[in-house]
Amino acid sequence: MARAWDVNGLARNPRFRDAAGRIVLTRWREMISYRDGTLVGDDIEELHAMRVSSRRLRAAMDAFADVFPTKSFRRYLREVKRITDTLGDARDLDVAIEHLTLLLPEVEGVDRPGIEGLIDRYEQQRRAEDARIRALFDRLERERFAERLETWVHKHTGVDVATLAPTPPAGA
Amino acid sequence: MAKPRPVAGIDPTRHVRPNARRILAMRIEEIYEYDGLVGDPANVTQLHDMRIAFKRLRYLIEIFGDAFDTDLVPYLDQVKAMQDLLGDIHDCDVQVPMLQQHLAWLERQETESVERMLTSPRRARTPDDPDIALARFKSRLDTARRADERPGIHTLMAMRRAQRIALYMQFTHEWRRLKHARFRQRLEQALGIG
Repeated sequence: MARAWDVNGLARNPRFRDAAGRIVLTRWREMISYRDGTLVGDDIEELHAMRVSSRRLRAAMDAFADVFPTKSFRRYLREVKRITDTLGDARDLDVAIEHLTLLLPEVEGVDRPGIEGLIDRYEQQRRAEDARIRALFDRLERERFAERLETWVHKHTGVDVATLAPTPPAGA
Repeated sequence: MAKPRPVAGIDPTRHVRPNARRILAMRIEEIYEYDGLVGDPANVTQLHDMRIAFKRLRYLIEIFGDAFDTDLVPYLDQVKAMQDLLGDIHDCDVQVPMLQQHLAWLERQETESVERMLTSPRRARTPDDPDIALARFKSRLDTARRADERPGIHTLMAMRRAQRIALYMQFTHEWRRLKHARFRQRLEQALGIG
């Protein structure tokens, strides 16, 4: 599993509001760093890493919910949840295909056609998920979601993403 | 899925630790509310909700952990282990109905294929010899049917059901062990709750 990015400038027991800004923005940048790899689709681990990061982001938003106005918070959280769920559907299929493919050599001959047929069906469904993922990212880009989220976090926490400069851990 | 309950008294202008204590206390409480419900292996929803409650607690310990002086890693490992175990149970609970749906899908495909076969123009070329005609019909029927795909799906279902029984036994053993070891009290003490 991809390592979580370190949060720059986080004191040991910081102010709740400051911690909210630093952690949410770091998890956001961490998640979005896997977008291109996920869209290329050569390595299923890219999508997995993006999904894990999106869950970390969601958890951070939930943890610091009280820092943000309820109405706008719900709107942003709903969008992040949509990202997690969309990636989750694809990830579940990746895991199922991998699991069944590994199982195949171990099962008796009479069971193979069924498992091969199931793998075929999951692979078809997985290709359809690629289109859903692309459509979601295209929409987020059209709606300038990244800029809006970063501005919103800055407004309510005082943490600016450019100053924070989240970066991946060394060797990642 | 049970929603996390709102936590009263959070003050964003204060430091992380006092706020985190309030949030963590509530999330710990939410896990233990499932205690009486997960004793029945048929309570699929409650087992799933308990997994979500463990997941919430795990992420919160990861997020707030650095604000506490105590080493929370052993607690985090335990919470993660429970989340994983309940996750494996949930996978079985989800996969068995999915495989049943796949069997139903196979049947629909089969019906459509056989209907297509019976109404296709090839019927006009039926040989006069009834044995040859029957043999050809059987061969075409076998191609149209997907009966050979069923045993594998039934095997997968049987594997998942057996796995589910074993995982549930492991879960009840682990849950009893945690309670016996006063996990909750030790975690709350480490966090300075209460």
